[in-house]
Amino acid sequence: MVSISVPAQPRSAESMAFSVVLDLIEGIGRVPTGRTVEVRLGEGDRDAALDIVSAWCASSGNEIVSIEGLTVTVLHGRSPDSLAGLDPGQLPGSRVWVYTNFDCNLACDYCCVRSSPKAERRAIGVDRLKQIAGEAAAAGVGELILTGGEPFLLNDIDVLVNSCTEKLPTTLLTNGMLFRGARLERLRRMDRSRVILQISVDSATPAVHDSHRGSGSWAKAIAGIRIAHEEGFRVKVAATLPADQMHELEPFHDFLDTIGIAREDQVIRALAHRGVADSGIELTVDSLIPEVTITADGVYWHPVAADHDDQFVTRDIFPLADAIAEITRRFVAHRRAADSIAEWFPCA
Amino acid sequence: MTAPLVIGSVAYSPNVVPIWEGMRDYFAETSTPIDFVLFSHYGRQVDALISGSIDLAWNTNLAWVRTAGQTDGACRALASRDTDLVFTTVFVARSGSGFTSLESLRGRRLVLGSRDSAQAAILPVHFLQEAGLGESDVTLTRIDSDVGKHGDTGRSELDALRAVLEDRADAAAIGINTWQAIGRGELLPGAFESFWTSPEYSHCTFTAMPSVAVERTDPWVANLLAMDWENPQHRPILEMEGLQAWVPPKLDGYASLVAAVKEQGITDRW
Repeated sequence: MVSISVPAQPRSAESMAFSVVLDLIEGIGRVPTGRTVEVRLGEGDRDAALDIVSAWCASSGNEIVSIEGLTVTVLHGRSPDSLAGLDPGQLPGSRVWVYTNFDCNLACDYCCVRSSPKAERRAIGVDRLKQIAGEAAAAGVGELILTGGEPFLLNDIDVLVNSCTEKLPTTLLTNGMLFRGARLERLRRMDRSRVILQISVDSATPAVHDSHRGSGSWAKAIAGIRIAHEEGFRVKVAATLPADQMHELEPFHDFLDTIGIAREDQVIRALAHRGVADSGIELTVDSLIPEVTITADGVYWHPVAADHDDQFVTRDIFPLADAIAEITRRFVAHRRAADSIAEWFPCA
Repeated sequence: MTAPLVIGSVAYSPNVVPIWEGMRDYFAETSTPIDFVLFSHYGRQVDALISGSIDLAWNTNLAWVRTAGQTDGACRALASRDTDLVFTTVFVARSGSGFTSLESLRGRRLVLGSRDSAQAAILPVHFLQEAGLGESDVTLTRIDSDVGKHGDTGRSELDALRAVLEDRADAAAIGINTWQAIGRGELLPGAFESFWTSPEYSHCTFTAMPSVAVERTDPWVANLLAMDWENPQHRPILEMEGLQAWVPPKLDGYASLVAAVKEQGITDRW
């Protein structure tokens, strides 16, 4: 037997595509699980080579992390499931927010979407909302949440809400101040078994609430809660407090207990530095678990930033399942990028 | 406190450290704790085993055969991976190249892996001889990448496949693990096809010298065999090491390699 050395022949495009996989297998074998390797595709056979690399990764339990031009970065092993640590209720698409109009009878000084009596109405409309509700139910969404501005400014709010409740349980956010006359009749036409009203109250006494939301608004909100209860609706209360007041909430909870709000229906959140708020916690795409949010202008990452370009996702509301998938994809990508940075810094 | 069994392993991959740290953590919770020592090649590891520097060695089939040769068969095989009992060598060529058997290699070019790789060099030559193909019948090219690691890195086999792709050889002999790694020809249907697969033989095994008492190794083996694929703590270690279950060794699975080593005049030491 002999050992011989044969010079390499010029590679065919096909051979080069296959060679990329051999390079990849060798590279993966040289790094521990959790690290990445790069392979370079040939210019002439990029797509064929990428198909082979993708198929190899899928069958071998490794994962393509990025494709930039001719360079493919592959993770040895698979990334941890970025969604695995989430509560089921936090999974993107578990519930969908819809902004019904944006205009409002109040001009709260912390409104995250700049709603006010002067804000232009940007109505989602009954036809789109029906389609959203239908597609949401089909996509596995468990709940719809409608918010304004103030939804009861809409003359068809009962029709809007009923189009949602026909498909899914629905929570309707309101300041609770307009439950009289025709608007009270619209409230009465809603399905009590499928609608929860979420009314904003920021303090146990009028002063703080009224300082942000307008004189007399606290008393009207409390009256609205009473009316809603009398009409047989379940009521949640949502409060917005400066972050430095979030540590002493018990007196406020005690007050809400006295007006018949169950503890699980008392939602207290920190003020966000968004919209017209001049202070508050900073909430970015990187720091927020997304909640699919739809406005007349398109799909946003989270309701707290539904008037801000940095959290705009797509103008295409439909198919809704695609919008949910896109937000999920971006969330996973953000989490992985954050994990990579977390891995990187201790090594630096 | 029980003294740990010291196990030698060759560092053929960066994953060897997490594998053995995982093994050490697992055995720390048992009655048979371990520690480990990494070697750069099997020759040094077997020397350390025979000299008593380590208690056990995680050996390839060639390292086992050589240890047995140096100890007149006194060493003991303790356990293997399930995948070690059904190892094979696969002869592959470009798809459509017309090979149908080992006999069809007559007058053609066969590329082999590292000369100390049982699966990609030593046993392929043995299988050729069994098929009646001698030294002058097949032109052999050897790719001696990573000599000393007995083909564990797989690098020489990948180089052999590259040689086939680049028409520097007509066929390659590779281990079943490498054949599986490239998708058994299904992933690259236009690239490679297998035309002959060897009978099954045994590959790696934990090896002990007779000086290490059975009273120490038996409980350790029992704990090893208790590792469970369904246990989320055990599974990552098993996955990285390429098995689903640790099993008792199959000694008659080394017969073909013993014969090959004898035929080819491969010495017991390096």
